[in-house]
Amino acid sequence: MRSGRDDLDKALAACAKGDRLALRRIFDQEAGRMVAVAQRIVRRRDLAEEVVQEAFIRIWTHAHQYREDCGSARGWIYAIVRNRALNLLRDSRREHSVEEVETLQETEQADAIMAAWHRLDRQSRLHECLGSLDETKRHGILMAYVGGYSHGEIAGRLRIPLGTAKSWIRRGLLTLRECMA
Amino acid sequence: MTYDRKDIANLADEYVLGLTESATAAEIEEIMERDPELKAAIAASRERFLPLDIAVTPATVNESLWDRIDSTLPAQNVASETPVATVANDNSRKGWKIAALSSIAAACLLAIGLGYSLTRTSDPLVIAVLINEAGEVQAVVEDFGNERATVRLLADFAVPNDKTMEVWTLPSREMGPVSLGLLNGVRSARLDRRPLPSPRDNQLYEITLEQAGGSPTGRPTGPVLAKGLAKLPR
Repeated sequence: MRSGRDDLDKALAACAKGDRLALRRIFDQEAGRMVAVAQRIVRRRDLAEEVVQEAFIRIWTHAHQYREDCGSARGWIYAIVRNRALNLLRDSRREHSVEEVETLQETEQADAIMAAWHRLDRQSRLHECLGSLDETKRHGILMAYVGGYSHGEIAGRLRIPLGTAKSWIRRGLLTLRECMA
Repeated sequence: MTYDRKDIANLADEYVLGLTESATAAEIEEIMERDPELKAAIAASRERFLPLDIAVTPATVNESLWDRIDSTLPAQNVASETPVATVANDNSRKGWKIAALSSIAAACLLAIGLGYSLTRTSDPLVIAVLINEAGEVQAVVEDFGNERATVRLLADFAVPNDKTMEVWTLPSREMGPVSLGLLNGVRSARLDRRPLPSPRDNQLYEITLEQAGGSPTGRPTGPVLAKGLAKLPR
């Protein structure tokens, strides 16, 4: 990942100067993953592409704001994708009835969340620390990050009260931070 | 929004996980620009969870996606390389920072803003005192949050015949600057704001000089005449 990371730094700097080829390099390197990450959250492929399209425009117009104190270039890029996808999801929650959202390719969604866990690099600190959490806490955190689930949706899927879901996730996150520190 | 310093790490994690409500998320995005500790915590949290994104099986991407991006890409404004945390447009110049940092000006602003609001029966949710680049008070915006905002001009403005003054606010970084309306001639006015999120503490308000009829792009394009951050009446 190291080399890719420096490349993205340079590409963002070039984007800020108006170099479209640099944006194309980011596209070639990351767009496939960006679409997949967005699709885990918004479910539908067409919406995921919409999210990624908007994300690239934002990367282009905000590249000059990227600084190392925002974290890695890759983290910055994926944060933009995730923000766009989460906003779209929140908007659609307001527009659709609860039932519609509930049934929206629920099985695929569950699979995607499990896949994210299983594909995670086993040597990584995140894998080790998530693995040390009890299953419900780990699952809750993965549902939120990978699938864009809200506290309420997580409580519903895990069949636990909302307050319990909130406090379990809060404690899970604390354990995770301590483990990864 | 208020938060305990000891809750910053959890706030950052929940924001990164997408567990915060959209209004709170927008607030966090705004606040993180002023709170380096929160910003650092969010950056650290993103890095912690990033492996879950990088490990995803990439989707097959069609060239048409790039074509759509390429065709909607705006021209890069290379001149605007220095970002300023809370400005709504690219009129950022050093003078503004100095003006914004002037605590004397800030103290005056609050005094004026408060005195003004006490004479009203219905209280505005926020009051923004707008200053010019020299730090001089130019106008007061009171936002009532119910599709109504008022602007009181406190200085003389020279507005050419083919130009108009337009009032803007920045409800969130995601939303970008939104027009509150045009000032007809150089006078105080009541603006009919369109439905927007409830105004918040430190929300940016500004007046720009636009062509007659208002900004052609829906975003501020002309020079900033005055700007300031909103305060909640205490």
